[in-house]
Amino acid sequence: MTATRTDNRKKNRLTAMVLFTVAGSMVGLAFAAVPLYKLFCQVTGFGGTPRIAAQAPAAAPTDRTITVRFDANVNPALPWRFEPKKTQVTVRAGEPTVAYYRATNWSDAPVTGTATFNVTPFKAGEYFSKIDCFCFTEQRLEAGEEVAMGVEFFVDPEIFNDPNTQDVTAITLSYTFYPAAKGKGKKGGKPRQAKAKQAKSLGPVSVAGRPVKG
Amino acid sequence: MMADQETAVAGGHDGGHDGGHGHHPTGWRRWLFSTNHKDIGTMYIVLSLVAALVGGAMSFWIRLELLDPGIQFNVFGAGEEAAYFQFYNVLVTGHAFIMVFFVVMPALIGGFGNWFVPLMIGAPDMAFPRMNNVSFWLLAAALVLLLVAAFTQGGPGTGWTIYPPLSNADFHPGAAVDLGILSLHLAGASSVLGAINLITTIFNMRAPGMTIHRMPLFCWSILVTAFLLLMAIPVLAGGLTMLLTDRNFGTAFFDAARGGDPVLWQHIFWFFGHPEVYIIIIPAFGIVSQVVSTFSRKPIFGYLGMVYAMVFIGFVGFVVWAHHMYTAGLDVDTRAYFISASLVIAVPTGIKIFSWLATMWGGSIDFRVPMMFACGFIFLFVMGGVTGVALANAGMDIAFHDTYFVVAHFHYVMAIAAVFGMFTGFYYWIGKMCGRQYPRVLARIHFWSFFIGVNVVFFPQHFSGMAGMPRRIPDYPDNYWGWNYVSSIGAFITTASTLLFFFIVWRTLTAGEKVPANQWGEGATTLEWTVESPAPFHTFEELPDMTDKQADE
Amino acid sequence: MMQRLTILAPMTALSFFGAAGNAFAGGRSEPWQMWFQPAASPVMERIIEFHNLLFVIEVSIVTLVLGLMCYIIVRFNAKANPVPTKTTHNTLLEVVWTGVPLLILMVIAVPSLNLLYYADRIENIEMTLKVTGNQWFWTYSYPDHGGFEFDSVIVPDDELKEGQPRLLTVDNEVVLPVETNIRLLFTSSDVIHNWAVPSLGLKLDTVAGRINENWMRINKEGDYYGMCSELCGINHGFMPIHVKAVSKADFAEWVETARKEFAGAGGPAPVRVAETGAR
Repeated sequence: MTATRTDNRKKNRLTAMVLFTVAGSMVGLAFAAVPLYKLFCQVTGFGGTPRIAAQAPAAAPTDRTITVRFDANVNPALPWRFEPKKTQVTVRAGEPTVAYYRATNWSDAPVTGTATFNVTPFKAGEYFSKIDCFCFTEQRLEAGEEVAMGVEFFVDPEIFNDPNTQDVTAITLSYTFYPAAKGKGKKGGKPRQAKAKQAKSLGPVSVAGRPVKG
Repeated sequence: MMADQETAVAGGHDGGHDGGHGHHPTGWRRWLFSTNHKDIGTMYIVLSLVAALVGGAMSFWIRLELLDPGIQFNVFGAGEEAAYFQFYNVLVTGHAFIMVFFVVMPALIGGFGNWFVPLMIGAPDMAFPRMNNVSFWLLAAALVLLLVAAFTQGGPGTGWTIYPPLSNADFHPGAAVDLGILSLHLAGASSVLGAINLITTIFNMRAPGMTIHRMPLFCWSILVTAFLLLMAIPVLAGGLTMLLTDRNFGTAFFDAARGGDPVLWQHIFWFFGHPEVYIIIIPAFGIVSQVVSTFSRKPIFGYLGMVYAMVFIGFVGFVVWAHHMYTAGLDVDTRAYFISASLVIAVPTGIKIFSWLATMWGGSIDFRVPMMFACGFIFLFVMGGVTGVALANAGMDIAFHDTYFVVAHFHYVMAIAAVFGMFTGFYYWIGKMCGRQYPRVLARIHFWSFFIGVNVVFFPQHFSGMAGMPRRIPDYPDNYWGWNYVSSIGAFITTASTLLFFFIVWRTLTAGEKVPANQWGEGATTLEWTVESPAPFHTFEELPDMTDKQADE
Repeated sequence: MMQRLTILAPMTALSFFGAAGNAFAGGRSEPWQMWFQPAASPVMERIIEFHNLLFVIEVSIVTLVLGLMCYIIVRFNAKANPVPTKTTHNTLLEVVWTGVPLLILMVIAVPSLNLLYYADRIENIEMTLKVTGNQWFWTYSYPDHGGFEFDSVIVPDDELKEGQPRLLTVDNEVVLPVETNIRLLFTSSDVIHNWAVPSLGLKLDTVAGRINENWMRINKEGDYYGMCSELCGINHGFMPIHVKAVSKADFAEWVETARKEFAGAGGPAPVRVAETGAR
């Protein structure tokens, strides 16, 4: 009897250890969800996450065209005006195109901003690639400064072959500018541009100037 | 009888965990330091009753506020509408947290689970009696912390879903949300410890011959629930920790401004949140199965089907979470997947419903109060279930999301059905727990008043919801008045019925008839009916041998 | 706006529906409404059509279970049936009640997926409306019409004019043309809100830092009301939506005046006079 009881205690402890491990790994999974979700979005274009391409596609552009629309938002905490220079452009699929936004710092102090972005419809995310973008890095504007910010992108011609995206005639590219390094934490946020290793900074450039490409 | 004379043996039987407590501790020590599964179970039930008063009062306030258009109870005075609206949001939030974490879960899992899992499998106690004590007191501390949070700097008015950015430091700057998060952390730790204890007990401490496929369905339901807790709660804990560090230590998991994604929180929350719904309802399935079988005087119909339906529900519960997020802005293909997966859940739930009906079919049914509540449970669960099938469709959800239709749906399935499960268990087992019978006539009045009351509350909410009334608002356009008024009348009936229930508890404990070991007769075949009533402090020192008994099917 | 409880005097409350009822012109709920608001868009028409199917299935299932329970209560109570059977298995029955629900689910799933994809496809778009949620008002902008934008804030109870519905009336309603495919872009400047108009079959979150997209087509002229449908803080119940659908010609005319009225939008963030209060 006593022997069985001792066996039972050992068995109980072993079971509990296994169960604690399961619980612990579920906590781990919750944290792992953060990078995994990000990766998942980037790989699949989930939630309208555009792709990042190192260079323009090798294949020649097709003749089929698609409309790309531009949308701009500014977080109320950022004293900027920010708007697309053109509401929309019509591009040939596969052809790299540069579009510009205009940003003005209307406060009397230099401010650094950083932009989040996505495209709609979400299902077009995996066919929309950015080669270069002002959103890859933080942008600093002096007091009263107005700059043009460029984004170079192309639409993958594959979008015309996917049955899911047959209805897509226009893709909207949206940016939201936030103040950089906002928040009360002393350690600061995670650097948001870290993932864009291959990106070259395009702006800010002066309104008159062309983007300086490396 | 055995127990009191053989306490020394009992110490040994507890596997040494309880070695120092060979005597029957008395007074406050008996409760504060309790390692006895029955005492801890009782404490869980008492905690649930206390929390039910608080959470019920909150919902009554909400219904009173919505009785008429306009603002009725601005306790902060004219000109302080903002404070009152925040308070209203805190009521909405607090009602949900309290009912989910401190009423239903403690009663069904901590209370009945602790009391009857060891009794039904023929174990002398839980596998880890001291850990059991820790689980309970963590939950008690969590309840206190949540109530403190509600009265701290305006309280957490985030809804129980705690969606950032509303729940982040910019929009809820005070300590209220932090305290709420800590409260959930404690409640979660309590649940995980409890789950580990229950699983270990069920796996390792079944009496000889009590094979896993002979185990009563209530034990199966607790086993499935414990696994859901074990897998789901840690995910919530992880998410809450991220939210806490976002709020206080400058991380940016859910802050779009710094590269986070608020929608990720919704995924994490509902990955926990959907299994949580089953955590609430599956133990009620178990109780109802026992009761239906007992009072039909028939073994349960399709035992294996019932078991694996629960297991399947638990499993699929983890892959349907985004049906709570159809209007959050998800890819269309994602929504298509979640429609299909969510619809599939209707199949095992259908199996359960029809198996209960088939158990009753051909039975010789004694409609005692527990059986009445079990039948009420089946009806309410079907009512909530069919609207659930409607809500699983993302296209349909455009019309229903965040309306009172959803409120009606989830109250039918996980609130009042779960509460009917609790009442079923209470009336079924109260004789075993305290040795006294409930007053029969009052209990029948309680059933009918509660059944009518909750239906009057929640059925009209389908109409308000279809007409487009959003949830979580303290005032509504005047044309929504009619059904809200009816709903609030139902709240009066339900509240009166709840007070009657507390009176019944008191009458039972003070003036109930004494009951024998098996008060329900030949239909009650599970092991708890073999020990005297009330169940002695220590049971099954001599493990019952089930080897030659017929399997419970 | 304290009102006394009318627990025993429902007529008091009914009386003010008289006034509201006279002004009723569709696009919002009616007193004692038990069904959907009348559809004013192709998506909502399809939602209601799909729900008609679902409703039949729901009622059949509830009736079946309730009928079986009633039969059981009458036929198999202890008096009527003193000796219980011992049946615990019936393979055919178990296969049927697993298989039939599966078939029913397929009957549901096909139209459900059709509806989902229909509501998602955005074709032949003629104009765009952008909706921004704020605590606690909406900002509307018309990027295809010069990009003017304006705020839409609730009108408090004491400033309502005759016939304006309480909690649904705003200072600047969003004006849109009928029989036009409109692209909707949603975003937020702070917490998550949700732009919902029941009669147009629309409900989508506005999330800061990203846009969501949807579309609509309004069948006929009229006023269509909605409310914020995601808990967004203190005044969540007080940020209504009022869509005023007009003919294409009237819309063109309105755009001309609105351009002037709301000129200078997009400049430095204007001081916004929303309802105040701590966040």
